[in-house]
Amino acid sequence: MRRAAFFGIAIALVAAAPWLLHTPYWRGILVICAMNVLLALSLNLVMGYTGQLNLGQSAFFGIGAYVSTILVKTYHWNFWLASLAAVAFAGVVGLALAAFAVRLRGHYLAIASLGFAVITYQVLVNWEKVTEGVRGIYGILPPVGSTVGLFYLIAGIGVLVYWLMDNLVRSPVGDTLRAIREDEVSAASLGVRSYVWKAFAFSIGAGVAGLAGVFYPGFVGTLVPDAFNIVESFTMLAMVIVGGMGTMIGPVVGAVVLTFLPELLRGFGELRLMVYGIALTLVVLFMPGGIVQLVKRK
Amino acid sequence: MLSANNISKSFGGVRAVRNVSLSVPEKSVCALIGPNGAGKSTMLNLLSGVYQPDAGTLTFGGTSMTGLPAYARVRLGIARTFQKIRLFKQLSLLENVLAGFHIHQDTPFWKYLVVGDTGRFREEARELLAFVGLGARAADRAGALPYGQQRMLEIARALATRPKLFMLDEPAAGLNPAEVDFLLQRLVDIAKRGTTLLVVEHNMDLVMNVAQRVFVLDHGEPLFEGTPREVQANPRVIEAYLGGEFAA
Repeated sequence: MRRAAFFGIAIALVAAAPWLLHTPYWRGILVICAMNVLLALSLNLVMGYTGQLNLGQSAFFGIGAYVSTILVKTYHWNFWLASLAAVAFAGVVGLALAAFAVRLRGHYLAIASLGFAVITYQVLVNWEKVTEGVRGIYGILPPVGSTVGLFYLIAGIGVLVYWLMDNLVRSPVGDTLRAIREDEVSAASLGVRSYVWKAFAFSIGAGVAGLAGVFYPGFVGTLVPDAFNIVESFTMLAMVIVGGMGTMIGPVVGAVVLTFLPELLRGFGELRLMVYGIALTLVVLFMPGGIVQLVKRK
Repeated sequence: MLSANNISKSFGGVRAVRNVSLSVPEKSVCALIGPNGAGKSTMLNLLSGVYQPDAGTLTFGGTSMTGLPAYARVRLGIARTFQKIRLFKQLSLLENVLAGFHIHQDTPFWKYLVVGDTGRFREEARELLAFVGLGARAADRAGALPYGQQRMLEIARALATRPKLFMLDEPAAGLNPAEVDFLLQRLVDIAKRGTTLLVVEHNMDLVMNVAQRVFVLDHGEPLFEGTPREVQANPRVIEAYLGGEFAA
């Protein structure tokens, strides 16, 4: 019952958002926000639930964007088919990264996955024959004409992904992932093949990040590698941590806050990056459980 | 049921276990004892697959399991606890035990996505918690439990794998006398259900009370094997223990 009410409120909020923030500018921010929610959810599965510090998420976001756009623009695929292929491709690349990542832990994994993000970025910049490099790809059309329609589409998918993921983490699979996060040796003593489950989390996380990516180019209209700079990985990291990793709602809250906060801080000019940094440090120091910790603590 | 044949294991230059053979009969309660540094925990890690032996073979239920990783041995029916407790500290007691049912999960994957918590094994997990005296604390965080109860929770979690052979690494370490008594009862109960037990232990009272067969290690080598009474009367065992005490 409480869950039904929760999803009811979520859907109502999504429905109302473009009418509460009704200028074209804010509606655009809402679209970005919906994409960020997907990205934060994707990282949270890997980092929050499985405990794998993955800094390569920006690459999967980029892979989703580029694969779908190239399939549509160069090969004239249907957008949805291209999106499906892009998500699948991101998932497979996630699996490939996992093949290396499962041997690494903690900082080593962070560095390796960050390296993967850098390599992917360099491929996008330098493989000009396919990606057009820094010149970019222009005139990309969104799957839905209006900004509000696009927001509803992405946010709707966001709610669906949230629901599926929420089910997953409540299921025995969630118990297994959390067990790996807490103690791998212990998990193995219960018969858990942790490498399989880590690869699973990496792959699903990569696919969801890729899914966010397929909507990005159409919204902006152009596609350049800079949108998938490694900085994006850290932004996602910040969203997950600020909101509260290892909870379902936390990363959503984090994504919303960190999408709107920079907009509200625009008056500070470049100083806003500093404000942003200080805010992040304060959260890590004083609210290790993120914003949701404040609400949830009994 | 379990037999180790001429098992050796070195770490760097240290030969932790040398040429150890032991055989645990089905439905028996066996103990592995020895002074500090005798190689008991190493032996348990070799039997459970946390370490792989440099030499020697292992069989379980008549088939070889030499080289099998730890997770695969669980599926054969081998469970264990750790000397240094390794719980999922941030998870609830119930979640700890539920994670133990991993190898018995048989729900199709799509159901997890659509239904989420299927409630499968929940009842059984609660029974296991009650069995180790933690029925009332199912929702508490495992890390918040007092030490003795953490040991009992680890036992409940391992039992969730439904082991045929259950190996415990110093289960009485750090327990007060009342807790040792409770542990002893539970071990007897587990044995009565037909589970074979292999207990690494320092607490001689516990060993003498539950074990039918005792293996004694000293400096990584087998020293003696026999009934608890034989072990207690054996001069070499007494010397190893007393010598160890004087050295310490």
